[in-house]
Amino acid sequence: MPKIIACFKWVMDEADIKTDAKSRQLVLDRVGYKISEYDRNAIEEAVRLQEKHGGSVVGITVATPSAKPCLKDALSRGPEKACFVNDPAFESLDPSQTAAILAAVIEGKTEYDLIICGEGSSDLYAQQVGPALAEKLGLPCATYVNKLTYIEEENRVIAQRKLDDGLETVSIKLPALITVLPDINTPRIPSLKQVLGAAKKPVDNISLASLQQSFEPCLKTTSILAATMERRRLKFTAETDDIRKVVDGLLKEGVIA
Amino acid sequence: MEEEKFGAIIVGAGPAGSTAAYLLAKEGLEVLLIEKGAAPGGKNMFGGRMYSHALNQIIPDFWDQAPVQRAVSKETVTFLAGDQAVSLNCQDLSWVSPPYHSFTLLRAEFDAWLAAKAEEAGAMLACGIRVDDLLIKGGKVAGIIAGEDEMLADVVIAADGVNSIIAQKAGLRKKAPEPHQVGTGAKQVIKLSAEAVSQRFGLSGNNGAAQLFVGDCTKGMQGGGFLYTNKDSISLGLIVGAGQLQKNKYRISDLLEEFKESPHIAPLIDGGEVVEYSAHLVPEAGLSMMPQLYSDGILVTGDAAGFVLNLGYVVRGMDFAIASGAAAAKAVIAARAFNDFSKQKLSIYQQFLKESFVLRDLEAYRGAPHFLEIQRMFKAYPQFAAGLVSKMFTVDGSPPEHLMGKALSHIKKSGIGWAQLAGDGWKGARNL
Amino acid sequence: MAGVWILAESREQTLELLSAGKSLAEQLGAKVAAFATSSQLAQEYISHGCDEVLLLPPLAADQPLESYVPVIVEEALLAGPDIILAGASQRGREIAARIAASLNTGLCSGCTGLHLDQDKKQLVMERMLFGGAAVQTVVCPNRPQMATIPPRTFEQAPLVEGYKGEVRQLPAAPPSRVTVVERTPKTSEAVDITEAKIVVCVGRGVEKKEDIALAKELAGVLGGEVGCSRPVAEDLRWLPEELYLGISGKKVKPDLYIGVGVAGQIQHVSGIRDSKVIVGINRDENAPIFEAADYGIVGDLYDVVPKLVKELKAALKI
Ligand SMILES: Cc1cc2nc3c(=O)[nH]c(=O)nc-3n(C[C@H](O)[C@H](O)[C@H](O)COP(=O)(O)OP(=O)(O)OC[C@H]3O[C@@H](n4cnc5c(N)ncnc54)[C@H](O)[C@@H]3O)c2cc1C
Ligand SMILES: Cc1cc2nc3c(=O)[nH]c(=O)nc-3n(C[C@H](O)[C@H](O)[C@H](O)COP(=O)(O)OP(=O)(O)OC[C@H]3O[C@@H](n4cnc5c(N)ncnc54)[C@H](O)[C@@H]3O)c2cc1C
Ligand SMILES: Nc1ncnc2c1ncn2[C@@H]1O[C@H](COP(=O)(O)O)[C@@H](O)[C@H]1O
Repeated sequence: MPKIIACFKWVMDEADIKTDAKSRQLVLDRVGYKISEYDRNAIEEAVRLQEKHGGSVVGITVATPSAKPCLKDALSRGPEKACFVNDPAFESLDPSQTAAILAAVIEGKTEYDLIICGEGSSDLYAQQVGPALAEKLGLPCATYVNKLTYIEEENRVIAQRKLDDGLETVSIKLPALITVLPDINTPRIPSLKQVLGAAKKPVDNISLASLQQSFEPCLKTTSILAATMERRRLKFTAETDDIRKVVDGLLKEGVIA
Repeated sequence: MEEEKFGAIIVGAGPAGSTAAYLLAKEGLEVLLIEKGAAPGGKNMFGGRMYSHALNQIIPDFWDQAPVQRAVSKETVTFLAGDQAVSLNCQDLSWVSPPYHSFTLLRAEFDAWLAAKAEEAGAMLACGIRVDDLLIKGGKVAGIIAGEDEMLADVVIAADGVNSIIAQKAGLRKKAPEPHQVGTGAKQVIKLSAEAVSQRFGLSGNNGAAQLFVGDCTKGMQGGGFLYTNKDSISLGLIVGAGQLQKNKYRISDLLEEFKESPHIAPLIDGGEVVEYSAHLVPEAGLSMMPQLYSDGILVTGDAAGFVLNLGYVVRGMDFAIASGAAAAKAVIAARAFNDFSKQKLSIYQQFLKESFVLRDLEAYRGAPHFLEIQRMFKAYPQFAAGLVSKMFTVDGSPPEHLMGKALSHIKKSGIGWAQLAGDGWKGARNL
Repeated sequence: MAGVWILAESREQTLELLSAGKSLAEQLGAKVAAFATSSQLAQEYISHGCDEVLLLPPLAADQPLESYVPVIVEEALLAGPDIILAGASQRGREIAARIAASLNTGLCSGCTGLHLDQDKKQLVMERMLFGGAAVQTVVCPNRPQMATIPPRTFEQAPLVEGYKGEVRQLPAAPPSRVTVVERTPKTSEAVDITEAKIVVCVGRGVEKKEDIALAKELAGVLGGEVGCSRPVAEDLRWLPEELYLGISGKKVKPDLYIGVGVAGQIQHVSGIRDSKVIVGINRDENAPIFEAADYGIVGDLYDVVPKLVKELKAALKI
């Protein structure tokens, strides 16, 4: 009966991010937030294991207090409890900080057999926090896992890693940490009852102060500039003469011959 | 929680739904507010201006806490005809001190705020859930069905907007509205600096401007253009009769692009970045499209009930939505006193609506929709007005002509018959 | 020996990073060292201008490559390198992340460009943010300064006639708690999409696997190759992983990219940004692909693609 921790991040929906070509600034004032794409897979995998083998699932996130809405969202996906590590200072953290904070929260305070992270966060996509957290907690870890089985009697997992040069199946005795690829499962869409249920689930609020440590970034960001692209953005219909126009255009550009 | 039963389930967290949820929760009812979008207001759009009176009744001085953009001090109606544009411009500074006359706002933040008020008051908000059907027991509405889940309630309030499937499922409305009963709206939010907005529209402080356009922008089709100034952006869009749009095979997005490029608009948005595009329907047929408003265990509010008034120079829907949501809440509270949510007991909703401005105003403008269907309104008259007035100001050495003469020649040019003019004038006077 | 370290799985990537590392080392007046898993590779790296090779003893059959982490960390603590450039293969990313964590230093993952700030003697590193919507520039006050760098970011280091360097044997890796029970090497016939001059890219807009034939035909007429979006390869498994384009997939620079039923989400667009001309075919007029396209065709791909093929055949006299 594994005790599982699923790590998730509350991120800006990158589809809402607009850019100002001239100033190369990001226009963020109309962005919505969401649970980082692949962290839904992380939560889903944890919940599936729990549904199969019993045990428990806690969802944990490090964020600013403004991320509160993420709790209902995460809890409606199945975890029985959320751990909301929040402080106004937890704004745009560097992965090393995030890993350090998670380690400080989990170390000693939370019982666990397995920690599941996503492959990478939708905003930073550093693919660091998982393995870095494992290192800080002195855990064995397997990254880029797209198939996971738990062997109850031996309290170990068999994980299939999908790597550039092929598949690698590894066996790890728990406790351990794994990071999952999006193709490991298809996250459920929370139902009305699950959403209502989420509102009743317990949440541990953990403040920076209660950790009695300071967490300095290892990387300093010197600039963030919108990536701009000059495109003509001509629009055509599916009518034959319109399509002919496109073909003529491509011929003129000399990209087809 | 399988056995859980709510005092009221409200479908749709737009202004109508959130207002009803807020008032009912304040009364201590167990309220469930269900929104299909990931967040309230996320996908909602409107032109950009809400008249304050309705919400001020419910949340006095709401402007102190609500995310409003600018208080409107300037109204402009412009007739567009080719190179010519004639505007009727009105500034009233009493509009920009409490109780403010109207505010421009952005739905994503405003709807989220209003839904949050309902939550604070104790309502349960469930986002990302689409209600698929009604739960009917013994011929009465007994709750809702969303995916696998059924949820019971004493009463269901349909606040699910212009295409309300709930009203249809309840049999209160036969089918989705007909093309001739709705307008298709499209809008872009264009980002500028706050200074640029104030300066381009000659606005002091945080005052705002509201502009409506008639004529070329809809290619003479029924409807018009609108422009509202937000803090540091502009909401620009069009509403065109859906029927005529179909008939003439125009794409609303193309019309909007043309509108943006027209010499009367281009300079106002020059250098701005489009940060949002959206399209949505507007009920336009007024009372004639109004479904039955209530039945056993259910009430219909806001756009779902067709409570919108589009006169060309005013577009009102938010204030109707809020007031009708409030009336629905009052009706539920009244019925609750008898713990009887039957059609008879809920019929008081109709009465509350009559007492409020909602039905009164819709009654008053009953004829407007037909009046506005007159083609001349959107082609001939704008040409006439623009032509005449520009002539007034034109000095080019050609022999002088008295204003009346000018008018006559322009009436001829614009091909309007006398009878029509008189008739339309009379209808207009009666209807607007 | 302080200086610049090169750490990559493959020979190719090691040589690519070597060329970058070499120029940094020269600017720093330091030496460049690379890790190798065989003395033969060690010699090769030296012959390409590597000053020192740190030779990693072979692992037990059931040990994953990541088992080297403690060895490398030990060595780093002793030698105190100034910069570590790691290959951004998947294993490389995990290894680098764990090394950085143990050494309490920063790591710029997926670094797309770097240069040395001479007076600050500091590495200025660039990476993508928000799926590629923005470029983030970072520096790292701690040492070592670390980055993982995607393949083909740099040219391979050239041979340097009779270059001299030393080889140093590192201790064996300790037994690892992660044991490999099976390895299935990739046996994929997938073409190198990054070489293609013309790429026809299929997205989830294509309803059935069979319908990829449409894109194949279009590519055929143009003498191009077929690529895809990540879900088409990963979720649907209709095409090999090597063929998906984007921030986590292949980055392509063709003369012509044609997206067929591709939404054009930023993570995908980041992989096609450098295409000369981009064409998007999508039935949703508000699909983001049209923001990124030179030519956008709003319509059903099942209607548009055949027409396009017909017109192309006519125009190209095929
Ligand atoms: C182009 C345009 C311009 C306009 N300009 C103005 C203006 O300037 N001023 C003004 O006062 N009014 C304006 N209106 C009208 C105004 O937008 C509407 O009258 C008002 O939004 C009605 O509010 P509502 O709550 O009834 O419906 P809506 O605001 O449409 O809210 C309905 C809510 O229900 C949700 N929903 C729908 N179906 C379901 C379901 N099955 N399950 C769960 N949730 C569901 C929707 O997601 C939405 O959040 C404009 C409208 C348009 C289209
Ligand atoms: C951290 C991270 C990294 C990622 N990396 C990558 C990456 O490297 N590469 C990548 O591709 N994605 C990546 N993604 C996923 C990416 O965000 C999008 O989800 C994905 O690119 C969408 O693929 P798609 O356009 O094929 O599918 P969809 O998003 O489903 O789009 C399908 C499109 O086809 C259109 N369509 C449907 N039917 C038709 C028809 N009959 N005719 C015409 N058009 C039609 C639809 O309008 C729609 O726009 C990443 C995501 C994250 C969070
Ligand atoms: N702020 C955070 N809170 C909790 N988990 C996080 C946070 N940031 C990253 N993670 C986890 O670490 C994974 C990799 O993130 P990253 O290193 O930013 O790509 C994510 O998929 C999450 O599972």
